[in-house]
Amino acid sequence: MPKFDVAKHDLERLVGKEFTVEEWEDLFLYAKCELDDIWEHEGKIYFKADAKDTNRPDLWSAEGIARQVRWALGMVRGLPRYDIEESDVIVYVDEKLKDIRPFGVYAVVEDLELDEEALKQIIQLQEKVALTLGRKRKEVAIGTFDFDKLRPPFYYKAVEPKKIEFVPLNCEREMSAEEILEEHEKGKEYGHLIKGRPYYPLLVDSEGNVLSMPPVINSETHGKVTEETKSIFIDITGWHLETIMLALNVIVTALAERGGKIRSVRVIYKDFELKTPDLTPKEFEVDLNYIKRLAGVELTDKDIKDLLERMMYEVDFVDRRAKLKYPAFRNDIMHPRDVLEDVLIAYGYNNIEPEEPELAVQGKGDDFVDFENAIRDLMVGFGLQEVMTFNLTNREAQFDKMNIPEKDIVEIENPISQKWSALRRWLLPSLMEFLGRNTHEEYPQRIFEVGKVTLIDESRETKTISESKLGVAIAHPKVTFTEAKEILDSVLRHLGAEYAIREIEHGSFISGRAGEIIVEGKKVGIIGEIHPQVLENWGVEMPVAAFEIFLRPFYKEGVF
Amino acid sequence: MELSYQEKVTLIKLRELKKVSFDKLVKETGLDQVAVMRAILWLQSKRLAKLHEKQKRIVKITELGEKYAKIGLPERRALELLVEKGKVTLEDLREVLSEDELRPIIGILRKEGWATVRKEDGVLTLELTEKGKDALTKERPIDIALKVLAEKREVEVKEIENLLPLKELKTRKIGEEDAKAEREVEITDEGLKIASEGLELKEEVSILTPELIKSGGWRNVEFKRFNIHAPVKRLYPGKKQPYRTFLDKIRRKLIEMGFIEMTVESLIETQFWNFDALFQPQNHPARDWTDTYQLKYPKYGSLPDETLVERIKASHEHGWITGSKGWGYKWDPRTAMLLMPRAHATALSARQLGKGVQIPGKYFAIQRVFRPDVLDRTHLIEFNQVDGFVVGETLTFKHLLGILKRFAVEIAGAKKVKFLPDYYPFTEPSVQMSAYHEELGWVEFGGAGVFREEMTKALGIDVPAIAWGIGIDRLAMFKLGIDDIRYLFSYDLKWLREAKLVW
Repeated sequence: MPKFDVAKHDLERLVGKEFTVEEWEDLFLYAKCELDDIWEHEGKIYFKADAKDTNRPDLWSAEGIARQVRWALGMVRGLPRYDIEESDVIVYVDEKLKDIRPFGVYAVVEDLELDEEALKQIIQLQEKVALTLGRKRKEVAIGTFDFDKLRPPFYYKAVEPKKIEFVPLNCEREMSAEEILEEHEKGKEYGHLIKGRPYYPLLVDSEGNVLSMPPVINSETHGKVTEETKSIFIDITGWHLETIMLALNVIVTALAERGGKIRSVRVIYKDFELKTPDLTPKEFEVDLNYIKRLAGVELTDKDIKDLLERMMYEVDFVDRRAKLKYPAFRNDIMHPRDVLEDVLIAYGYNNIEPEEPELAVQGKGDDFVDFENAIRDLMVGFGLQEVMTFNLTNREAQFDKMNIPEKDIVEIENPISQKWSALRRWLLPSLMEFLGRNTHEEYPQRIFEVGKVTLIDESRETKTISESKLGVAIAHPKVTFTEAKEILDSVLRHLGAEYAIREIEHGSFISGRAGEIIVEGKKVGIIGEIHPQVLENWGVEMPVAAFEIFLRPFYKEGVF
Repeated sequence: MELSYQEKVTLIKLRELKKVSFDKLVKETGLDQVAVMRAILWLQSKRLAKLHEKQKRIVKITELGEKYAKIGLPERRALELLVEKGKVTLEDLREVLSEDELRPIIGILRKEGWATVRKEDGVLTLELTEKGKDALTKERPIDIALKVLAEKREVEVKEIENLLPLKELKTRKIGEEDAKAEREVEITDEGLKIASEGLELKEEVSILTPELIKSGGWRNVEFKRFNIHAPVKRLYPGKKQPYRTFLDKIRRKLIEMGFIEMTVESLIETQFWNFDALFQPQNHPARDWTDTYQLKYPKYGSLPDETLVERIKASHEHGWITGSKGWGYKWDPRTAMLLMPRAHATALSARQLGKGVQIPGKYFAIQRVFRPDVLDRTHLIEFNQVDGFVVGETLTFKHLLGILKRFAVEIAGAKKVKFLPDYYPFTEPSVQMSAYHEELGWVEFGGAGVFREEMTKALGIDVPAIAWGIGIDRLAMFKLGIDDIRYLFSYDLKWLREAKLVW
């Protein structure tokens, strides 16, 4: 789902080998990415990568793809190793942040040499992680700083909003917290995550300089990362330690892929202390037979070990089980199935011969759907054109424009547009809309729809039922009630139903030309000549006769 | 020799008349002009008659001539006034003459000798002569010529020239000269021979009536020849919606391939069946407010039986007995009860698995689903999804690929397919398939995966279940010849009427 840009030359210097575009297309598959687009800019080739797995942030950057490719090609095997040295950096976390944004984790990466492309990747990765894994910064907000410009130790503090003032990124003047939330582009986008709290989270250095106001914005003046930056300080805040630790691992290992040296930071909370990042490999165990049984290709234990090592696992066999270690930048292994998928990806989906299962089964269509199709065939026999319209509609179309009082209707809480804010409860408005949009087209116009209407039914699991209905509308200069009734009469005779029409007054129809259709004492539909007010509401300048009936009452189980 | 009714009538008349003008022949046969001409041409091609054409000079009446024939020549109108008053001024003549006619009138009256002209008190005055008095009852050659022209519309030049020089009619602009083809028809010896041998004449009819059939009268009539090239009225038959026909075909194919159709009673779904039963955690981004519709009314539905709910809850929270670690959060039944328009057909698969299935078994649904999106050329707000699953003790990953490939071959007519790793929250491993379509190139045609055990176990299924979905929209658009996806649910009657047949 996350899409991001990578440069071919950047990937290749990270892998240490060059490939053709076609080869890259295949190599991307190892990283669960699809090569979505290719373009050239100033003599360099760029790819758009579409990352399929929303739970693998480690694969959402050039560094991540390159790493997976090196392993998949066997240039490196087993667990990736990253050395961490301790730094003397300390971050103190304020207890008052408990209900605001309680956790922060940190790291320093040194000895970096960044060029424009590398810098672009770092920023892009931060954005994608904060957007998808971080649920639009709610769960994960990331700040990176030029470490050499900062004065540790750092303080992650809860500060009263009115006491906050600093120059936010891409601005030239000091702004108050309130101004940032009101006026700054990022403030408007993310301000809602802290707005209204008594304190706002703030990251400051030992001299009181503001580095960042997570999860909204960094400082323009203190620690902005540039191509000259050699050491990066990373700050990640959020609500769950496990999630932000994962994000930190993704970022620091990506930087390490570019030659950076990881330094840990002491994070001091009121009741406990952390040393971050923690790159201790994670562990899992699978039954080898389980993998073999589901893979569908012949695999030996050795094959499985080889394939998993190419997916960055460390594999130890104990009895019939594989004890696995996998990198700390992943947390998506929940079930042996997840391991199975890695085995298959390393094997290559396209190296597996598809085979259709031979199952002794017999197909069968739903009998009611067959019934609906029989009704459609019958209606076509009357010379009516079938239409398919949307179930989504709105109150106005269902009631006001049909000249009837409002009733219960299934309504959407968060519609994209008011036009599509309810599910229809009868078909004729849809047919009227259709006629209203075709007034320039030759008459007679005779249309029908076999479609669903959705009604409230408290007795059901979903409190609703979608019933199948037949709706018919006929428009031409000489149409009257009689023409609609002729069709209705014929349809009902074909269904073997005796019916009566009970005269009613109904706002949608001309008085004296409207009736309820009664079968076995029950209302099954409505018929009439559309009221001129309704025609006017839909912009139809032609008389219309119409009916709609429920189909379920006429359905009998097929005889076959 | 085979002769039509018209040819026979014409030939019989020709036998009588030998050589005759076309116009006269038309009158004599009593048929219409076109029919006679057609008959003559056929007869000529059969060498039974000959058509001679020559040019002749004629005089045709002009518009002015027609007008004068009705209201009288200007000099006659002036004469009438003179006779009435004895003496008139030019001013008086304005009553009966137009401005154009006024100017030359004095010259004409004097030339005819019908009036004398002099000035009285500085005003030109005309006085009736004796000749003028008599002229009222006498017809001049030009009066006769006008009468003849008015009656016949066109007259041979020589007939006019018997009365007066043609020039006069031309200068008075009441007649103009023209040329006309004069057609004469002559019977040939061969024609005479055939006509003399006797021709059986049958009545001509244009419509074969039931009476003619019942009475056997059809044996004694000729059928009028139709112009079979004439354009006809455009008809609009009753038709199924083309997208419907397309969907029906896919449905038939799936049934042929051994799939059982699943249906559901409402378009509305609980989040439980739409998400929770599919092992999608409650904080999954797809469940965000912006990506998922929620209902305002009714807001909450109910949950299925407690055992099932407990299993789903356990599966989400810690993996239950499925061998999984679970998502590690507190599952909230209230969230699962929220109602929404169904967002994917996989919800039907979950329901079916929960209800119980045949093992082995194949299931499918063609289901209307809803997504919060903007309606435009490439996006629909509701659409049909073709989705299902295959369940069986011995299923493996290569079967999953096999099922997908079969769809590509059967439904898209694809010769080549390729597979890409993919991600769905409810399947692992997951695959996306691209199919190579002759005209469209590589098309993303479907996806599949093995339903996660966290899901299937909780739903009571202990064997592998392969979920699949096929993306039919691009194929449908290709089949229907459209590049705007909204036409799948077309509100354009013209397009529906003209849409080519799909089968």
